[in-house]
Amino acid sequence: MSLFRTSSRLVFARLPIAATASRAPIVAIRHKSTDAVNTKDAVVARTKEPHAVAVATHEGVPEIPVDTATSAYSPIPKYPEIHADDVLNAAFISGAPLDLQSRTVRIYKPAKPATQSGDWNTRRWRMDWDVLLRGHRWENPLMGWQSSGDSMQGTSLSFKSKEDAIFFAEKQGYQWFVQEPNTREFRVKSYAENFLHSPGKLKIIRTK
Amino acid sequence: MTINPTLLAQTTRSSVNKADAAKRVIKAYRDWYRAAPEVVNLYLLTIPTSTVRSRIRQEFEKNRHVQQLPVIDMLIVKSNMEFQETMNYWKQTAQLMKYFRAEEDDRVHVPKDFMTGFLEGRNN
Repeated sequence: MSLFRTSSRLVFARLPIAATASRAPIVAIRHKSTDAVNTKDAVVARTKEPHAVAVATHEGVPEIPVDTATSAYSPIPKYPEIHADDVLNAAFISGAPLDLQSRTVRIYKPAKPATQSGDWNTRRWRMDWDVLLRGHRWENPLMGWQSSGDSMQGTSLSFKSKEDAIFFAEKQGYQWFVQEPNTREFRVKSYAENFLHSPGKLKIIRTK
Repeated sequence: MTINPTLLAQTTRSSVNKADAAKRVIKAYRDWYRAAPEVVNLYLLTIPTSTVRSRIRQEFEKNRHVQQLPVIDMLIVKSNMEFQETMNYWKQTAQLMKYFRAEEDDRVHVPKDFMTGFLEGRNN
């Protein structure tokens, strides 16, 4: 579920890496422990010996360990996608918490503010994180200060081009989507065109 | 105690091939595995050695399926740095205990699957 205001020009996409035959195939590994027997075994192991750490739920999918960012509200972490050769698997060496893997980033071009004429900020592409729906926000009871436990709250990254942003997201293993900007249509208007002869019945209003 | 900065320092190098990388990873894992009792003694941990070892194993298992050599090399470098910092007692207890958050706080856990997480009222 997304809190972003979506427009009709919203593009959901993943890079078509797997579709191109010339590149090496991706061995995608997702965190899926739907195997009931294995899950039950892991639970039993935990209750038997309190200090036992389950290493792997089953062959092929390593268990995601609790890290410093894990909380009662943190998103369900996903195991990063394994790339063979095409994009560097930065998710494994960045040290970032794995619950970032299950959050979707938005890549967009900020619009010009309606109250200002400057359009400098609209030249760069920006990546930001969605606000988490539950938890992670609280208010100071005395002063009413707003706080957030979401480490990506208010974080945004700037890129020179859309491709750069997508490449970064792919490298880090983020889910992403691109929100295309609404471009302004500009047409040259002249007052004199109002007085041109038009062959039809009704006179065309040329001011629009 | 004098600090010898090169103690346990290892030269950084690129792996020649997958087999070489595998050998280096196993060496790093063995170093960690053997050092587990010393880690417990050094940092006066109340955690049994077996848990330290399983946690080490878990960290290695997490990266088991990584295929790219540069990534594997970087993981080895990070492991070696971590090992040197741990065994030279350059870390403080909190910097080590961040790996054992689940041991300290029972409520902190990663949900097994989507449905469990959903019923717990988690995000996504």
